[in-house]
Amino acid sequence: MVTQQDSPYNWGMVVDVDRCTGCQACVIACQAENNVPLNTENLYKEQRTYSWIRVERYWEGEFPDVKARFIPIMCQHCGNAPCEPVCPVFATYHNNEGLNVQVYNRCVGTRYCAIGCPYNVRFFNYWEPVWPEALRNQLNPDVTIRSRGIMEKCSFCIQRIRRAERVARRDDRLVADGEIQTACTQACPTNALTFGNLKDPDSKVSRMSKDRRAYKLLDEKIGTDPNVIYLARVEEKAEAVHG
Amino acid sequence: MQQRRQLNEIAVNRELLNGALDTPAWWKWAVIGLASVVIMGLVVFGFQTNRGLGVTGLSRPVFWGAYITTFVFWVGISHAGIMISAILRLTQAEWRRPVTRAAELLTVFSLLTALSFPLIHAGRPWRIIYWILPYDYARGIWPNIRSPLIWDPVAIGTYLTGSTLFLYVALLPDLAVLRDRTVGWRHAFYTMLALGWRGNPRQWKLQTVSGILLSALMLPIFVSVHSIVSWDFAVTPGVEGWNSTIFAPYFVIGAIHSGVSAVVTMMALMRWLWKWDNFIRPEHFDALARLLIVVGTAWFGFTLVEILFSLYTLEGSELAFRDVQAFQWPWSFFFVSFMMLAFFIPVPMWLFKSVRNSIPLMFWTSIMVNIGMWLERFLIIVPALSRKTPFVYTYGEYSPSMVEFAMMAWSLAFVGMNMLLFARFFPLVPLFESKESQIFTMDMKIGRATIPAVLREQE
Amino acid sequence: MASRAVPTHDDRPTFQEAATDLVSRPAAATGNTLARISLVLGALLILGIVGFVLKIMDVGLNDRSAWGYYVAMVSFMLTTAGGAPMISIAPVLAKANWVRPVMRISQMFSVVGILTAIMSIPLIFILPPLVEDGVWRRSIWFGSPPYTPHLWNTVAIFGLIFIGLALLWASSIPDLAAMRENETGWRQRWARRLAPNFIGTNSQWKSIRMRMGVLSAFYFLFLIFTHILFASDYIHAMVAGYKDAIFPMYHALTSLQAGVASVILASWAIRRWGHLERYIGLEQIWSLAKLELALSLFWFYFFFSAFIIFWYSRTPQTEKIIELFDQGPYLWAFLGTLVFIFILPMWTLMWNFIRVTINGPALIAVFILFGTLLDRIRLSVGAWSTEGINDTFLQVVPNTVWPDLWDIFMFLGMFSGAALLFIGITRFLPVLSIWEIQQSRLISKPGKFMRGNVLIVGKPD
Repeated sequence: MVTQQDSPYNWGMVVDVDRCTGCQACVIACQAENNVPLNTENLYKEQRTYSWIRVERYWEGEFPDVKARFIPIMCQHCGNAPCEPVCPVFATYHNNEGLNVQVYNRCVGTRYCAIGCPYNVRFFNYWEPVWPEALRNQLNPDVTIRSRGIMEKCSFCIQRIRRAERVARRDDRLVADGEIQTACTQACPTNALTFGNLKDPDSKVSRMSKDRRAYKLLDEKIGTDPNVIYLARVEEKAEAVHG
Repeated sequence: MQQRRQLNEIAVNRELLNGALDTPAWWKWAVIGLASVVIMGLVVFGFQTNRGLGVTGLSRPVFWGAYITTFVFWVGISHAGIMISAILRLTQAEWRRPVTRAAELLTVFSLLTALSFPLIHAGRPWRIIYWILPYDYARGIWPNIRSPLIWDPVAIGTYLTGSTLFLYVALLPDLAVLRDRTVGWRHAFYTMLALGWRGNPRQWKLQTVSGILLSALMLPIFVSVHSIVSWDFAVTPGVEGWNSTIFAPYFVIGAIHSGVSAVVTMMALMRWLWKWDNFIRPEHFDALARLLIVVGTAWFGFTLVEILFSLYTLEGSELAFRDVQAFQWPWSFFFVSFMMLAFFIPVPMWLFKSVRNSIPLMFWTSIMVNIGMWLERFLIIVPALSRKTPFVYTYGEYSPSMVEFAMMAWSLAFVGMNMLLFARFFPLVPLFESKESQIFTMDMKIGRATIPAVLREQE
Repeated sequence: MASRAVPTHDDRPTFQEAATDLVSRPAAATGNTLARISLVLGALLILGIVGFVLKIMDVGLNDRSAWGYYVAMVSFMLTTAGGAPMISIAPVLAKANWVRPVMRISQMFSVVGILTAIMSIPLIFILPPLVEDGVWRRSIWFGSPPYTPHLWNTVAIFGLIFIGLALLWASSIPDLAAMRENETGWRQRWARRLAPNFIGTNSQWKSIRMRMGVLSAFYFLFLIFTHILFASDYIHAMVAGYKDAIFPMYHALTSLQAGVASVILASWAIRRWGHLERYIGLEQIWSLAKLELALSLFWFYFFFSAFIIFWYSRTPQTEKIIELFDQGPYLWAFLGTLVFIFILPMWTLMWNFIRVTINGPALIAVFILFGTLLDRIRLSVGAWSTEGINDTFLQVVPNTVWPDLWDIFMFLGMFSGAALLFIGITRFLPVLSIWEIQQSRLISKPGKFMRGNVLIVGKPD
């Protein structure tokens, strides 16, 4: 067994639900950045759509006093992930930077990880993905295209993390706060999403995660210990929006 | 008390070898029919491999469906063999004797079928070798032994190996009989398989001892196999309907329920197809039905406790799952059918002696149980996944596609074809057990009454 | 084929011998030793009652954690005395012949059950209602009226004891008739009252068999029902956030295991001190030991089925539950349970040279009873010492609660009360069932097959 070394990084994200308008810009940005297959009409009918990050919409209250509530959900990169121990081939495991990584080449497609995941953020390639001819040149060369029969999920844009780390290592320094932007944080018009290093106590995410609005999805119930921290919506009658 | 015909040993040989030595005319056509279904299944599997699992009805979040249900179903059926031959052997139930071979055979073939379903189910079956064999020594990456999907092939593989040994040990004396009654290549074939069996006391002793030892050793495996299959489901804290501690014994007792029922089905078929009326008698159906009443009622008790405690917390997704499972069309229909077929119709019927002794009724009730038990697994797996988490946004639906139905048909045909092929070369009812049973069972006169009696060794 | 078996010398007791040994002799030989033992047991029982009264005066009924040991005692009594009569029920289904001599012993434990029923009455006052200060706690009763569990548990326990006593009575009517004919004095009057007109006609036998069948089936169903209720309401529901579907079944299974152990122990004692070696032989003890071995394995299976799910899930709740029952304050009791209820019985009863003896299984039975007691302490005391019964989750794992002096008094009182009741009933009924022994003699006979000795056993429908 290869032992994991300590890393100065523990990547995490803070989602300020109060700022989310449900505009779906993050979803589109993610789709473009990570070569996520197009959600065609057929895929919707088959309930096999991909969205590494999705914006869930809930209605609160009865008509006419009804409010829309939004919550963006992506892979939570759990510290105690239910998807990891069940994979028979170690295709998904936890790396030393706090990421829950998916090794596409090792995956045999048992879909057990997707069963184990309580957030439903894992996606299975039921078909070989195809893009229209016009979009062929749009694909991101840094990201593998996943074939049929394997799982995929949010990687926290690991290609961007790796590039920044390479640059930092070359310059013999640590990755600075705010140096890495995932596609979704970059695209968010209201800055509801913030990405950064949770191990650095001065980073923006660390400071935000100490907010008294902070909560983690399902952590109390299942004990997943996610690396994604949500900041609750501020209401006149203060109560958590979800979770 | 029915009249029992005493047959001499020659007659026993003649009647029981009619499958292997004088093949009935229907045999060829039955095998051709089943083989064509098997070939169809292989073609469909090729199609699925070529196109991807999109050809099934699976979706997100219902990632597991009919394939896993069928896998669990066949593992359940496989519990027949050891239940009949090992447990009843250790508890010295005389009536088990004529059905032991067929039950063990059912175990072996249903395990083979069950083992192929994870393969059919996987996204990239050609890479499954990663699962079972440790690979890539250089990088130190081994299969993840924490995964229940690694425990599965280990448990099922052990069970398959043990059952095959068990079957073979019990087959040895009969192979010698066949060796002595054949000529040509078949003689050579049986000679090789019979391992020089002469039937001397030492060989008999070794055969008996190994049978008892294998029975005792198989028991823990017998219990562990379906427990491990149930842990595939129960270890996931993210799926409300599955994460239950009762799953292991609940699945095992359910497996015995369906396995013993499958043996009843098969006994009825054997009686009709090969006319072994002198060996497979109504009293055997009677004894199996009594066993089934106990097993079925115990299983039903576990079902009730399981439902009671899953509602215990009264939490959102658990309630949503139970609501789908029992009250929403079409699941409500399946739920009611499952309850009726697996318990409420057959078990009260078996309370009547006339039903227990009627072979057509036993045949149909046992088929009912197995349809019901398939539905049970389906109702555990699919609704739980479609209402998996507290995130109502991702609730989904599922219905099996034609491809999945084709593979289910393949599995049935595969088991049937293998049974028929086996019956062509080996006796389905053990000769020596039948002869022993003729000696060991007798009638006893007490006053004016005549009751069946058995011979017991004294310590 | 029967002609092949040549009858050999049959040294099993005849009906007359059995009637003399079991009916007439014990009445004549009520020894002084037994009276003295009974006196000591009676004194200890009174000590137990005194302990109970003092405990109420000391802590009152509202402090839940103080009553954990009392719940453990009731649970233990229900487990052992409630499970023992199953030995006269389950093997009969498999048409087992060996069980006949010990059937009466196992059914006599129903009388010990009277103590369980009496001891369960204070529990009604200790168990908190379903809703306290407007907050509902989790239970298997969901929205029922607040005192539903109190009612149903009492009904179940009393019903179980009642059915058990009825079964004991139904199956001893033929023996009571024998007592009526052969005894004098109060025993004859007593027998005459319970079996006034049994003369052994066909219809009377048929009705006895029918009653036994129905009562046996009811006893089994009631036993499972009682254990599900008791385990859920008195242990499972006391721990916030505990959700363990197999737990009631586990409780019921330990009941069978402890029941077998009790019967082994009682049979051994009766054989030894009642001088009934001709009736209770190796076959009985050996077969019971086989059952015990199987049930010990099953104990581990049921325990592990729950444990692996909790351990693998590693959610905050399951970790707390494992700490409470297995790792933390009751580690000593858990290890004791594991050793005495599983490891020791398995590694000893596995071997024929221990299993096929008279004394070996009896010693193991003592171990198993001790292990069961530890198990009940671990579960009941652990569950009753937790705080926050109305919470969704268990927040804090409490410290170990040790028994106080009153608890020890009550333990002594419980054991001696149980022993006293058992000794008492042996004065009123033949300790072995004469008619079962007689029937077993009728439907089995020794014979020869080839060169070996065999037993030809009839299997009537």
